[in-house]
Amino acid sequence: MRNSARFPHTLDGLKETLVIWSAELRRAVRSGRAVVLLGLYSMFSALVLLVVGWLAGQVREAVNKQLETAGAGADASAQVGEEMRKGVLGFLLSDDSAMMEALSRVPLEVLVVFKITLFFLPAYVALMGFDQLSGEVGPRSMRYLTVRARRSSVLLGKFLSQATLLLGLVLIIDMAIFVYARIANPGFGFADVVINLIKFWLAAIVFSLAYVSLTTLCSSLFRSPAVSLVFNFILLFVFWLMDTIGRAAQTAYSAYQVVDAYAVGEPSMMPFLRFLRYLSPSYYAGNLLHPKLAEFAASGAAYAGFAMVFLLGAYAVLRARDL
Amino acid sequence: MSDLAIELFGVSKRFGPKVAVSNVSLSVPRGSVFGLIGPNGAGKTTTFSMMCGYLYPTEGTLKVMDVDPATPGALKGRLGALPQDAVLPPGWETGALLTYWARLSALAEPEREAREALEQVGLMEAWNVQTQALSHGMAKRAAMAQALMGRPPLVLLDEPTAGLDPRIAAQVRQVIKGMKEARQTVVVSSHNLQELEELCDAAAILDKGKLAQAGTMSELTGQGSEFRVQIARGDVLIPEIASMADVTDARMEGESVLRVRIKGGVKPEEVISRVVGHLLQHGVLILGVSRGQRLEDRVLQLL
Repeated sequence: MRNSARFPHTLDGLKETLVIWSAELRRAVRSGRAVVLLGLYSMFSALVLLVVGWLAGQVREAVNKQLETAGAGADASAQVGEEMRKGVLGFLLSDDSAMMEALSRVPLEVLVVFKITLFFLPAYVALMGFDQLSGEVGPRSMRYLTVRARRSSVLLGKFLSQATLLLGLVLIIDMAIFVYARIANPGFGFADVVINLIKFWLAAIVFSLAYVSLTTLCSSLFRSPAVSLVFNFILLFVFWLMDTIGRAAQTAYSAYQVVDAYAVGEPSMMPFLRFLRYLSPSYYAGNLLHPKLAEFAASGAAYAGFAMVFLLGAYAVLRARDL
Repeated sequence: MSDLAIELFGVSKRFGPKVAVSNVSLSVPRGSVFGLIGPNGAGKTTTFSMMCGYLYPTEGTLKVMDVDPATPGALKGRLGALPQDAVLPPGWETGALLTYWARLSALAEPEREAREALEQVGLMEAWNVQTQALSHGMAKRAAMAQALMGRPPLVLLDEPTAGLDPRIAAQVRQVIKGMKEARQTVVVSSHNLQELEELCDAAAILDKGKLAQAGTMSELTGQGSEFRVQIARGDVLIPEIASMADVTDARMEGESVLRVRIKGGVKPEEVISRVVGHLLQHGVLILGVSRGQRLEDRVLQLL
């Protein structure tokens, strides 16, 4: 009885969410901000691509010159190039052999651009959605919505519109990067382009949804969009700091375990600090391109968990607050 | 289904140490036009906001159309609200925004509802205008239009005519009268007491967050308990009038206004006729007779 009464209630909530999602998405697509952000993101990606491409070319040229001077042939040059590529891949992918193998056909500049843009994606997400709720609560336009829709529907509809917009923008950027990579690297086959484009795009989706949720949470906490944005950036910095400190503490702890036999004493960092990295979403980004399903699923589950926690937090805040 | 559209039981609202509304209990009958009256800071908008579910009461309970307004989705399609100072979201054309809201209210023909509502408030020319480009008056009317869409059984209007020019304000009053004829329940919060006296069947007077008085307009203005006679010329014999049947008190207010109070439960028209007859018999010339007080006078007396 209770369940049957709740079904139309849930269905009505879903319909509200869909209406808000489609309306907000249309507004966002038509707004100047989406175009400006797409432009900014494209320019940034293009800049990274150009710098990385130029650096790689310079290094390659310098190595070739040295090999020529030493009297080495083309084979030696190719071998050194491959070794260098492996070295950079190892650095980018934490020397994970399975991942290195899976991504061996992807041009290096694509990986570098992906890594760098992934680092800045949370800031981009924050700029895109910092006022999704605070921009409605502050000027009280939220009141027009809540007489005709549940607060949960408003929250979810706005979150989904932001997420959809981001997915579209990231897809455009990723496609541009892969098209460039295909032109610059004729050996990068069409099938590899398509498969890796989907893989990279999915990784970016999983990664960014947690940050869209975080932005939704920050936007629900304050009435002023500016304060929401600043707080969002502060949280991003704190998460980055937790990841960095956690990794450093782990390195120190590992070194301590190795040399413990020589009784050199405990590392100066407090041991629990190494666990801090688990609380930061960015820690789980490493395995998003992993070929093993279990590794990818663990990362994906971590991001889904973060997204859920942030969204539930945003709902709790919005549900409890006076509008 | 209760006969009451809104019931407040001992409702209080605090913002930190500030008490905005204190222990207010009142009820609004279905199908009536009800006024919320009071000076700035009296708690009208806070009370209004609690009725709409925008604010949660700190103490007490509310029932709006038999449900708690804080229950998610409970008032959907049953309540239209014009909140005060709520800005229309920018980046929308007025028509598209209203159509979106009509769709969100699950109305059968959203665009037709939006057009009809804009026509009702005389704003069809703003259909394709961006909300941020609307003047204050136009934005107010667009906000009013969204409250009318779907003809909800309960409409709450916070300061519906504030900032509107007299012609448009009269149009808005006509819309409210139309809702009254259609048996919709309307709650109007306003500073314009003349307007409320014209529109409302009943009202609550709030002061410093407390309920000063509530009742029908007749009760508030004392229409059944007193009347005034404006004298043009002649001597009024006060003791004779005061001793007439069903008269409890008679006195002059200034030089030319006779105020007569009558017993409760008595038909005022009978007493008025007797008193006027007596005055005419004694050669007093009369300019006019009015029942009760003006609402404005009553409010000023109370606050």
